Amino acid sequence: MPREAEPSLNEKQFVLQALQDSIRLDGRELEQYRPLELTFGDQYGVADVTLGKTRVLAKASAELTVPYADRPLDGIFNIATELSPMTSPAFEVNRPTETEVLISRLLEKTVRRSGALDTESLCLVAGQKCWSIRVDVHVLSHDGNLIDAACFAVVAALRHFRKPDTSMEGGVLTVYTPAEREPVPLSWLHSPFCVTWSFFGEDGDIAVLDATWMEEQVSSGSCTISLNKHGEICQIAKLGGVPVEAVSLLQCTNVALIKAKDMSSKLDRWLTEDAKRRDKGGLLAELSAENDRVPDI
Amino acid sequence: MTVTAAPEAALGVLPRADGSAKYSYAGYTVTASVNGPIEAQRRDEHPYEAHVDVIVRPAAGVGATRERHLESILQSSLTQIILVKNFPRSLIQIVLQVEDTPENDYVNTKLVQASLDFAIMPALFQTAVLALLSAGVPMRATATATAVALVSQDGSKTSVVDPSPRDVEIAQSVHVLAFTSQDELLLAESEGDFTVKEWDEVYETAKQVCCRPVPTKEGMEMVLDDEHTSGPDLRHFLRSTMEQKVASDLHWK
Amino acid sequence: MPLDTSTYGLALLRVDGRRWNELRRIHAQIRTQAAADGSSYLEMGHTKVMCVVTGPSEPGPRRGAAGGAAGGGGGAGGQSKDAEVVVNIVIAGFSSVDRKRRGRGDKRTLEMQSTLANTLAATLHTHLFPHSQINISLHVLSQDGSLLAALINAATLACVDAGIPMTDYVTACTAGSTSTYAANDEGADPLLDLNHQEEQELPGLTVATLGDSDRVVALVCESRVQISRLEGMLAVGVDGCKQVREILDQVIKAQGQKMILEGTVDKGTGLNDMDLD
Repeated sequence: MPREAEPSLNEKQFVLQALQDSIRLDGRELEQYRPLELTFGDQYGVADVTLGKTRVLAKASAELTVPYADRPLDGIFNIATELSPMTSPAFEVNRPTETEVLISRLLEKTVRRSGALDTESLCLVAGQKCWSIRVDVHVLSHDGNLIDAACFAVVAALRHFRKPDTSMEGGVLTVYTPAEREPVPLSWLHSPFCVTWSFFGEDGDIAVLDATWMEEQVSSGSCTISLNKHGEICQIAKLGGVPVEAVSLLQCTNVALIKAKDMSSKLDRWLTEDAKRRDKGGLLAELSAENDRVPDI
Repeated sequence: MTVTAAPEAALGVLPRADGSAKYSYAGYTVTASVNGPIEAQRRDEHPYEAHVDVIVRPAAGVGATRERHLESILQSSLTQIILVKNFPRSLIQIVLQVEDTPENDYVNTKLVQASLDFAIMPALFQTAVLALLSAGVPMRATATATAVALVSQDGSKTSVVDPSPRDVEIAQSVHVLAFTSQDELLLAESEGDFTVKEWDEVYETAKQVCCRPVPTKEGMEMVLDDEHTSGPDLRHFLRSTMEQKVASDLHWK
Repeated sequence: MPLDTSTYGLALLRVDGRRWNELRRIHAQIRTQAAADGSSYLEMGHTKVMCVVTGPSEPGPRRGAAGGAAGGGGGAGGQSKDAEVVVNIVIAGFSSVDRKRRGRGDKRTLEMQSTLANTLAATLHTHLFPHSQINISLHVLSQDGSLLAALINAATLACVDAGIPMTDYVTACTAGSTSTYAANDEGADPLLDLNHQEEQELPGLTVATLGDSDRVVALVCESRVQISRLEGMLAVGVDGCKQVREILDQVIKAQGQKMILEGTVDKGTGLNDMDLD
């Protein structure tokens, strides 16, 4: 497959020198995100996130399956991240690159291992029936900071998602189709967000948030911190790269918390707006009054 | 019950691809990116013409044989309209990302193994053509596609243009046809059982949808107005989408 | 099997009898394999790893997954002006209690490989060896927590043995905290060098620093922890790295002395080589 063209020496030097003077090519502050936007699809559980020119689509889906034998009380929750050639022709189908592996590991650690989704609530009949929740992450356009955008999209899609309603009566499990009963939201425990710092220069003393693809290519290291708005760190990943003073890393974490809180309130607002849009004439509230379990996380 | 909403499309939605388009119609939303002509891998390289690579990615789940089947159909028909001989030893890569498919409220979907509906074909095809136009890949003709389902109701069969998933489920046969802008039949794929006579009917219906003459002059515009037709005027739609894009690109002139 | 942390509050002793700021026994050797360019063997408690370094040498045939040239990543392909660091980790089936087989495509291993490659690429003077490749292969013989830290330490030793110029030692160790994420108790102590049991139950992180400084090359935290805990854990971790550096330095110096005594290297040239760059 054709390889991605590297930026020329001139370009690299230009970006770096501008950063030395705290100037970014797009005129942002060093700690400023590009405009983050989110649109929900017509269906439940489709989130389309744009962060500048980076665009990620996440789709959540549910299916009834048999739980794993070693975890009979847990449902199944998976995040699939496959970078298609749409992202860049350098990515090939069915051949994961290092970038892809790292993104999927980060998302897994941030969302799955931090227990954002209550997997026990997905179990319907112990050892026999459970929901398998799957989130597919599609990167439509890559202009840097894929991780933050993808994480936001995954969290948004899962919180927007509704799975079919079920009931147990006398040992008989009934799954209702959307036409019979309004689907119900997942039981969601907390919303983690990724914040990625990029470091520049020999000493890594310039730290920049939300790097573009050009900046990512000239950066000498990066650190992704995942937090929720309660100030809990879910994951930190500084996988090598330029050495950075421990103190500045702590500072980065504190700024990341502010950004995570910011993203959290943005997502909350978008979710309520979308709920209002769907809830024309209060009909939905009437139908789903029984399942009024929207978590206020 | 034909979906009444008009098709919608946007060109150049992805900043980094050579060409891209987003198309939504009848509940299907597809985004396509086209990169090309680019360097082909050794195994795909053809000494005399460009290799057209089509990748269909379902919204949820991993693609399987069904997607590969759709890919191969699209690949062979798109190779026909792209001027592949102009770019020997290169690759034209078309990635079709399905974003939304109409939901069937009466069935709970199975998703781990995604299996795309046959009825998505026209949406995929149309998006691919739009994206190719947006990328400026030379083509001998543009093309339009539609799906027709034959549903038997009370003993008599009626043809449904752009069937919903529910229609597809109860249909006797589903047909996907594509026509070039020279009114030539480019693609005909069928599923289900039907007679030759029925196919002729389907052909006429599809041709009506795909090949309505574009009103070129103001005067003769509404000639077809009284004619009872189902479905949108795809060819006109294709043209106006391109016109809009060109107009917005050249607004500074 | 929950770890009984209740006794810690009473005696301030951990399950294996250590205090909060004590490392486990570190035993290290270099030049363990005569045939390799550089090699080392390292034990941190019951975590045992072996490392072999080949190179810098001519790059072999391209490999798909490990290279990572496509979307950016460690070292770019063969024609770049820096040497590419390729890391391969093999976790033996018998290394842990639950003999779980991990395939080559295991994402956790791939992530560790890329972490190691990027960590070492930042420290080794790869610009001195254009168009070449440094192969580092690590074998995990026994696991008892702090695996990533042990791998980094072993790789550092092996690179020193291979004589690849580098800025300084990269040393790593883990740090944890006695509080679980839910309990926001102020009295929680940070812990140094977690073993497997502690790693399972308590929040922890792996930190790797460069030489004697406070500069962090790698920082990996995979558990949920209050942000206020981070500072204490990081401080203890960085301090632990300095202790590890001392130990590794002694190992290297002892080996150097031994080699001079044996007459394997000349005293003068050997020392000059050390001081270079």
